[in-house]
Amino acid sequence: MIRSRITALTALGLAAAAMAGGATIAIAAPSASTTISTRQANFKKMGGAMKALKEQLSGTPDKAKVLDAAKTIAATARVQTKLFPAGTGPSSGVKTDALPVIWTDRTTFDGDMNKLITEADKLVAAANSGNAAAMQAQFKAVGGSCGGCHKQFRADD
Amino acid sequence: MSEAPATARIWDPAIRLFHWLLAGFVGFSWWTGEQHDMEWHRYSGYAILALLVFRLFWGFTGPRTARFCQFVKGPGAVSAYAKTLGSKQAHAADGHNPLGGWSVIAMLGALLVMVVAGLFAIDVDGWDGGPLSDYITFDQGRAFAEFHETVFNVILALVVLHIVAIGFYATWKRQRLVPAMITGKRKLGADEAPQELRWSPVLALTGIALGVVIAWAASTGFRF
Repeated sequence: MIRSRITALTALGLAAAAMAGGATIAIAAPSASTTISTRQANFKKMGGAMKALKEQLSGTPDKAKVLDAAKTIAATARVQTKLFPAGTGPSSGVKTDALPVIWTDRTTFDGDMNKLITEADKLVAAANSGNAAAMQAQFKAVGGSCGGCHKQFRADD
Repeated sequence: MSEAPATARIWDPAIRLFHWLLAGFVGFSWWTGEQHDMEWHRYSGYAILALLVFRLFWGFTGPRTARFCQFVKGPGAVSAYAKTLGSKQAHAADGHNPLGGWSVIAMLGALLVMVVAGLFAIDVDGWDGGPLSDYITFDQGRAFAEFHETVFNVILALVVLHIVAIGFYATWKRQRLVPAMITGKRKLGADEAPQELRWSPVLALTGIALGVVIAWAASTGFRF
């Protein structure tokens, strides 16, 4: 628990640093292993949120819980876009399922990441609407964007 | 017309159907798993669960060759049998031999563990999983999924061993085991008297119904 809290805090810190740093100021770059473990913790957080959504949407959804999970995905997805700098692939020597094609086909990868953000935002909107059918449909769209990107950019285990 | 060679019935129809359906669904589960087609993978898993429940039931209620008490033997019988493996003499007794019996237990056990792990497993995206994954956390569900993948290697090894053994009996001992699992019969030796294979269709149907009901209940996550 403590460990996951620390990684969550690290994620926040990294996100803040990335936002404050902008494109021009070179801040002391975190090590590849820190970046990789941060983004892995974030993906787990999104996975947990997806699972919560699945449970909510298999019955009568609790609007607040759906909204909470949707916001987690939308916010975390935005952080993730900053956590794939060059040198954090398998060549870093750190164990990662991120495939090298992320860095050779960056445009597609970024497109997929943005698609996730778009779909997650729509899920937040659907949750706000309180319409269960809309939430269900949008949940599928978000899940599809996870799978679509993973198929191409994540090692199949 | 000359008389057909005497045969003995050794495998009842229910166990033959069980065997071939199980082989088919294990293959189908593998394929759908590789394709990440989780919807059909789940259905296939439920079918395997139903088959396993039937087999366990049949192990206590079926005919003699299906019964665990008939083919699960102690270490003494197993090692005595293992010593005769090199002989070209075919295994005369019906049903599983003392070594093969344990292979059956290992396959059934591994498949049962596999199915139960699958019921709790959740995929990496957290949006597709077994019907019991709702009862546990994402991390626990992921651990079950990883265990599910590990157990598959055990099953694969046991299946390979099973096929190698059949090949060994066919070539070394000149005993063809596959036709018996299709027709249910084997040829009798010259001085052998056929033994009856008694089984009850009512019990067979009870076992099938039990398997279907339990698999269906698991597929709903035990929420009725």
